[in-house]
Amino acid sequence: MAHMIERHRHIIDFTLATLLRRKGKNGGLLLVYTLIIFVLASVIFFTEAIKREAMLVLRDSPEIIVQRTLAGRYQTVPISWCDGIGSIRGVSSVQPRLWGYHFDRTRRANYTFMVPAQAPPQSGHVDLGSAVARIQGATAGDTIALQGHDGAPRAFTVRKVLESESQLLTADLILISERDYRDFSGLPAGQATDLVLQVRNQREYATIVEKIARMHHDARPILRSEILRTYDAVFDWRSGVMIVIFSAAALAFLIFAWDKATGLSADERTEIGILKAVGWESSDILLMKFWEGTAISLTAFMVGTILAYVHVFLTSATLFAPVLKGWSTLYPYFRLTPWLDFRQVATLFLLTVVPYTITTIVPSWRAATIDPDVVMR
Amino acid sequence: MISVRNVSKVFNAGRPNAVTAVGGVSLDVRMEETTLFKGPSGSGKTTLLGLIGCMARPSAGRIFLNEREITSLPERFLTDIRRATFGFIFQQFNLIKGVSALENVMLPAYPTGEKFSRLRGRAMATLAMLGLEQRAEAKIEWLSGGEAQRVAIARALINNPAVVIADEPTAHLDTKLSLEFIGIMRELKSRGTTIIIASHDPIVCDSGLAGQVVELRDGRIVAGGAAP
Ligand SMILES: Nc1ncnc2c1ncn2[C@@H]1O[C@H](COP(=O)(O)OP(=O)(O)OP(=O)(O)O)[C@@H](O)[C@H]1O
Ligand SMILES: [Mg+2]
Repeated sequence: MAHMIERHRHIIDFTLATLLRRKGKNGGLLLVYTLIIFVLASVIFFTEAIKREAMLVLRDSPEIIVQRTLAGRYQTVPISWCDGIGSIRGVSSVQPRLWGYHFDRTRRANYTFMVPAQAPPQSGHVDLGSAVARIQGATAGDTIALQGHDGAPRAFTVRKVLESESQLLTADLILISERDYRDFSGLPAGQATDLVLQVRNQREYATIVEKIARMHHDARPILRSEILRTYDAVFDWRSGVMIVIFSAAALAFLIFAWDKATGLSADERTEIGILKAVGWESSDILLMKFWEGTAISLTAFMVGTILAYVHVFLTSATLFAPVLKGWSTLYPYFRLTPWLDFRQVATLFLLTVVPYTITTIVPSWRAATIDPDVVMR
Repeated sequence: MISVRNVSKVFNAGRPNAVTAVGGVSLDVRMEETTLFKGPSGSGKTTLLGLIGCMARPSAGRIFLNEREITSLPERFLTDIRRATFGFIFQQFNLIKGVSALENVMLPAYPTGEKFSRLRGRAMATLAMLGLEQRAEAKIEWLSGGEAQRVAIARALINNPAVVIADEPTAHLDTKLSLEFIGIMRELKSRGTTIIIASHDPIVCDSGLAGQVVELRDGRIVAGGAAP
């Protein structure tokens, strides 16, 4: 037993020394390998983080939303609908919501205005999402000016900058009082953007939706589950693009692994020949090759994963910006919530270290069976 | 005793470029004595050394090591025998570059799993015996030809082999170093080590080192060998 351990120790020591002796070759290999892991890990972390972000967004969304359409376009909803809809059996409450988008021409950014149901700012005050605050260069107590629907600027005092678990949720948000919002956006009195319903019993959804549609032919009720589906489709398209990048990288990786693994330099052949000639067995050579692969794999895996984590969560996946243009205009600046799932890391491991190891088995075995007498010629 | 019986080695058998490097050789190598294989280039000396030293298997015939047939053993056992019984000194030294003299000497013992401190002690003692203790930490490429050869000898001796096999050991050495090599071999011989040398260097052939001289030509023995 002690002999076995000692044997491993000797062979590992020698393997590491050998890796260092071939700095050029192994350095190049390590670099490419690390880069591939970095890209794959970034993709995995990014898609997962985005999905998680979406779950945070939707967690608090209402069960049923009622909108109004005219010629297939969204319209504002009369607040007077609340009474009728509120009297439908099973509906526990109906609330009008006031919100909308605003394009800031001077700063070329999109904001989302919203009148919060709870604790709205007083008239003349607003709360800003972190990205809006950054763009406006404003902190609590400052005054900002925004151009209203009629072209006239309006001044608001910043009450506070919002903090939130998910930045995707609040980055572009401006919270405002109802009076200011109607004045700013031109939304007429008695009208709301949409209505949100609380329903006691999930099984009644279908009946309620049907009753609303019968009550108002231009109403368009939307269930949360439908919103979830829409979001999923959007994210799936994103991950679709990612999967293409992903498979391309994986393919490159396999080709590269195969190429590197099959190529045994003349130097290496001679060295293996020497080792066998002086008394190393095939199994000793295999062990050496195994440790060589493991050392390279694990180093590349760890460095690549850590770099990807930094890239995705600390630099907001800057390198992916071109692919994700859609996101970055919709949500100009946001930071993903740091999050590490053991399953992701395991997947990454399975997708990189395992195939690499497998592709190096055959060539290692070939190296191990080099005849010792090659060195005598 | 190493007994070689009717041993042949054919390279590229069955193909147009087939070469019979060794053709039906029988000879006995007595233990604790020195045997010299001589003969012109291409006569099969290296090939025969490889067969005796368990580096390669013969195409036909058998080899016995102290009455034990070794030709048909599985690779594992063959490696064990090679490691435990034989120490090789190669013509081009075949040392591993970028590694210290000391580590080169220790390499053959790594698979045995000997405790590092003990192994290191033995390697240092062997290097010291050859007057190389000062150069133990030097990388191979910093050594002179003579020093490199002595490292190669130290490596051949590290597992205390009963038989030392040397293929053209003086081919890369000048006269002075060649004589030094013969001196080292004499020393080993006096300690009871069996030595098998292949050489056509007159300095070796005329040194009187070998008790038995076997002459090969075209893969056959033409003189000596006490073939039964
Ligand atoms: N692996 C091989 N494949 C094909 N032919 C070989 C191989 N090894 C040796 N030979 C041939 O076998 C013959 C004997 O070679 P060997 O190296 O044993 O001779 P040698 O007596 O050691 O010669 P030298 O004095 O030049 O070292 C030569 O003709 C050589 O070309
Ligand atoms: Mg030869």
